[in-house]
Amino acid sequence: MIYSLLSVKRNQEELNDLLNQLKGISGGSLSSVSYATITAVVSEINGNHLIADQSNAVEYARIIEALAQQFTLLPMRFGSMMETNDAITKMMERNCLEIQQNLQKVDNKVEYGLKIFCDSGKLREKIKASYELNTQSSIKTTSQIINSIYRDYVDKKLAEHRLEDLLLTFVDSVIAGITGSLNRLKAICKFRKMITETTIIDAVFLLDKKNERSLVHLIDDFKNQFNELDFVLTGPWPPYNFVETTIK
Amino acid sequence: MIDNNVVDKSKDITILELLDRVLNKGVILTGDIVISVADIDLIYLGVKLMLSSVETMEQIRSGKSISK
Repeated sequence: MIYSLLSVKRNQEELNDLLNQLKGISGGSLSSVSYATITAVVSEINGNHLIADQSNAVEYARIIEALAQQFTLLPMRFGSMMETNDAITKMMERNCLEIQQNLQKVDNKVEYGLKIFCDSGKLREKIKASYELNTQSSIKTTSQIINSIYRDYVDKKLAEHRLEDLLLTFVDSVIAGITGSLNRLKAICKFRKMITETTIIDAVFLLDKKNERSLVHLIDDFKNQFNELDFVLTGPWPPYNFVETTIK
Repeated sequence: MIDNNVVDKSKDITILELLDRVLNKGVILTGDIVISVADIDLIYLGVKLMLSSVETMEQIRSGKSISK
């Protein structure tokens, strides 16, 4: 089982000390396999039989977290296994450049997650009320043009469509505000919007460790600015969302 | 004093965030590795996210890696 790929440089002894203090999944001993400047942290899994339950996943994350406290690393996805240490060495040799480039990208950086929730009904009502005058005048115009038995239905659909547009514009404005502020921290941001009715934004940020406090203050400011939204900031995480790489 | 419901909710969100990262993110290995899900006894499926994440692992296994 491979937990992480690390940039150890001259700290091999420090890594050995840490691995001696930790236990792998199923109580297996942790060890390291190195190639050039890259080191993989591994442990034996009996018969390659891994139980994919919550406690093992949490245990796996705990080990990565402990390693991330002291080293720059690329977390491996849970369930990454190879037959032998020799196979791992060859894998690192084949992908050496890509691994090193990714390690460099996340060096001295941490990941934070931000989820923004809303009460869908209340938010829609608020947005609708804000734009009520414009909406009313538009519907009136449309109603005068379309004079048929389908008029009410069309008007209703148009109003719904307008509301969805307004909601999307509102979400985009929140994202633009956050992105603009995070640019000052030189953070890399990834946003997904309108995940569910209530989760309107799911974002992850990668930023320098020295800027963590600034991020927390900044999100706190946004929280005060948008009382109708619930902000949940989690972190610091190892850079799970910023190692978009598939290695062979 | 912190509301217990708020603490519980925060714990739930944190564990879901953690599982999402460990099971769905991170470096992906392909080739002659084993991402073995079919042979695994899934002894705990209490978290909805875990179910979807196991599906993701199965997709990886069937699409990109060679199972043992």
